[in-house]
Amino acid sequence: GVFAHLEALEAQAYEAALKQEELQQQEEKLARLKARVRELRLQRDALRAKVDLQEKGQLGKEGAVLDKAQPSAQDGLERKIKSMKAMLQIFYLTGISGKLTKQGVCFCISTAYEGTYLDSYYLDLLIKPQVQIYRHSVPIFIPLEQIARKHLQTDIRRFVSVVSDHLNAYAGRRYQADQLQEHFSDQIEGTLQRNSLCNLLVFSYHVSSESKTLVFNVRLLYGDLCCSLPTEVIVSCTPDAPAYLAETAAAHSDLFRRVALHKAFRSISSAGEKAD
Amino acid sequence: MDCSIFQVYEDEIQSLEEEIKLLTEKYEDSLQESTFFSDEEIVMSIKSFQGEFQQESKGCESDLKAQLASLLTDFSFLMKFSGIKFTSHLKKTVERTGNRTVKKHSLAGNCHSLSFQLEFQLLETQNKENVSAVVTDLSIIMESGEDSDMSKFVSSTEEHRDLLTFFRSLSSYGEWYEHRRRTFLHFKVMF
Repeated sequence: GVFAHLEALEAQAYEAALKQEELQQQEEKLARLKARVRELRLQRDALRAKVDLQEKGQLGKEGAVLDKAQPSAQDGLERKIKSMKAMLQIFYLTGISGKLTKQGVCFCISTAYEGTYLDSYYLDLLIKPQVQIYRHSVPIFIPLEQIARKHLQTDIRRFVSVVSDHLNAYAGRRYQADQLQEHFSDQIEGTLQRNSLCNLLVFSYHVSSESKTLVFNVRLLYGDLCCSLPTEVIVSCTPDAPAYLAETAAAHSDLFRRVALHKAFRSISSAGEKAD
Repeated sequence: MDCSIFQVYEDEIQSLEEEIKLLTEKYEDSLQESTFFSDEEIVMSIKSFQGEFQQESKGCESDLKAQLASLLTDFSFLMKFSGIKFTSHLKKTVERTGNRTVKKHSLAGNCHSLSFQLEFQLLETQNKENVSAVVTDLSIIMESGEDSDMSKFVSSTEEHRDLLTFFRSLSSYGEWYEHRRRTFLHFKVMF
């Protein structure tokens, strides 16, 4: 009856209001998008003009349009600042960078393995009343105190250099183990055991040849903490393994001593493939 | 209202933002001049900035001068500390895809009596927390290239793109060289 009719009208009105609101929101959104596009187009056109002028050589070395006012001192300063920041980034790539502080100097020691930059660590030093370490982010398993006792007071360069050697060797060992786990996980039996310093690795791996799977156990000890190659390698086979495997084990042992772990595995894998 | 019209505008916004990034990089790259630094220039610059921004009490320019003075001081310190003096640096973006950028660097300098010229390519990838860097190409020219030990060292370093080891070795050599020179002078004076 009437009541139902009123309800229907109310519902219609409600829906119409909703539609109206939705339409309004869409129009607002469209307006916003159009404005943004206009803004970006202006920005892009200004940049294009600058780049074109530059390419035609009409911009002087200072990067400002020559036929207008003098290049602003501010532009010159900003460019010099950018240049300097780029140079300080280069120092990061050299392995030792840092900045002077009110109380001394804060060194940043970067680590890398063959072109791949890894973690960096900081060493905040005070210089008065005597040189001392204020703060640092060097992991505790690096013998920092020992190195400081030996060198910090007498030769800061040597101190930073030795810490850098330790950190880079550690980073290199860790990188090799990580690469092994990432790329050769199918050849590793069980888990690869390693300590925090990554100077002791124990694991088993298999090599398939002539449709047989041969398992080797290996223990790598990196006795020199400044070196990323092991000083001691023990490769053994299972007790019931055939005698000729001793030769393979010896060959692998020699390989691990001379070549980075993940690279050694690359040649072991490809040798295995060739044998098949 | 047809929703596809939003997509058209949103697509254009994305492509404009991308274009702006590329143009900005192109503009900034070509602005980068070869920079030449000598000890005297750096000391003079720092002194002049220190003098000038003491006079100006405020303003954007004095902030910039203070910032530049601080950067120059750090740079000068690092060169003295490492023994490595950079005399020129040029970088250029050669490739940019997504969050990966490849930049080509030309760098020249010396460490005591050893002069070097490097060209390397650096691949930088923007991660969530930081930027990772990998040297993808490295070529080194040493002035004293005839020395066979030196050329072995250089080609091994180039092969492994081991930029960091190159600089650490250079710096160590510099230290040793300095020590030797001082020892020699000491004996020269004595006898």
